Amino acid sequence: METSNHRPTPDEAAAALLDAGSARDQLSNRLTLPSWFYASIGVAIAIQTATLALGVAAQSVAGIGLAVAGLIPFALVAWVQLTRFRRLNGAWVSGIASRVVFGGGAWSSTLHFLALGIALWAAFDQRWWLVAVCSVAGGTAYALSGVRWMQVYRRDPAANSRGESVLLLIALIVLLAAAVILLVLQSTR
Amino acid sequence: MAELDRHLQAPARLKLMTMLTAVTEVEFAVLRDGLEVSDSVLSKHIATLADAGYVRSRKGSYEGRRTTWLALSPAGRKALHNHVAALRAIIDGVD
Repeated sequence: METSNHRPTPDEAAAALLDAGSARDQLSNRLTLPSWFYASIGVAIAIQTATLALGVAAQSVAGIGLAVAGLIPFALVAWVQLTRFRRLNGAWVSGIASRVVFGGGAWSSTLHFLALGIALWAAFDQRWWLVAVCSVAGGTAYALSGVRWMQVYRRDPAANSRGESVLLLIALIVLLAAAVILLVLQSTR
Repeated sequence: MAELDRHLQAPARLKLMTMLTAVTEVEFAVLRDGLEVSDSVLSKHIATLADAGYVRSRKGSYEGRRTTWLALSPAGRKALHNHVAALRAIIDGVD
């Protein structure tokens, strides 16, 4: 058990690296996602997109209430699924939380904001069918971006296991809260 | 040139540290099963790595029982990076 200063041969060094890499890959491949993981996130994002677009376009206090209420299913799904993931695996991967669930990945955030932007325009133009299409498409794209991120993670778990820092996530939540407060204040004027 | 880290010379410790790179935090039993060692052997390795500042541990709960959660520290990540570079240099025949 004591530390050693033995210098390994090239063969021993190669075997040690191979063995360690194999153990790491086994651990990352053993991690399983809770049932309905992607589907529940996709549905929650679709609800959030639709309620935000309809709520903002309504330009009333009730509309802002609807937009804020649309965040509740997402918050619930995020909390439940991340708790289940931790219980199921006995492990925590912050990359899954920040990139898959909270949409920190480039693809998920870009596609989500694109769908949200078109849904907002459609809601102001009273094209309700387009709001629905954008919401479903946004939720689906968000979920598929998560599937893609998991594939990238399994290919190189060491490079992808870490997510954004807690400070950055807190800063984003504060910014989001400030944006919601501004919306509420403007709609009540 | 990067040098071998004496704390990571034991294959089990190199394996343990490399496994920790795949996660942010892992429960003691999951790591023990992955390494296929006993509780006491894993505890000794963790104590050595924690003393070196390479691994952080905290008490928590899992499946309704008290347990230990383990994570790689920034110093541990750096030490592992250097140790792996030194092993690769040996493989490549660089002195």
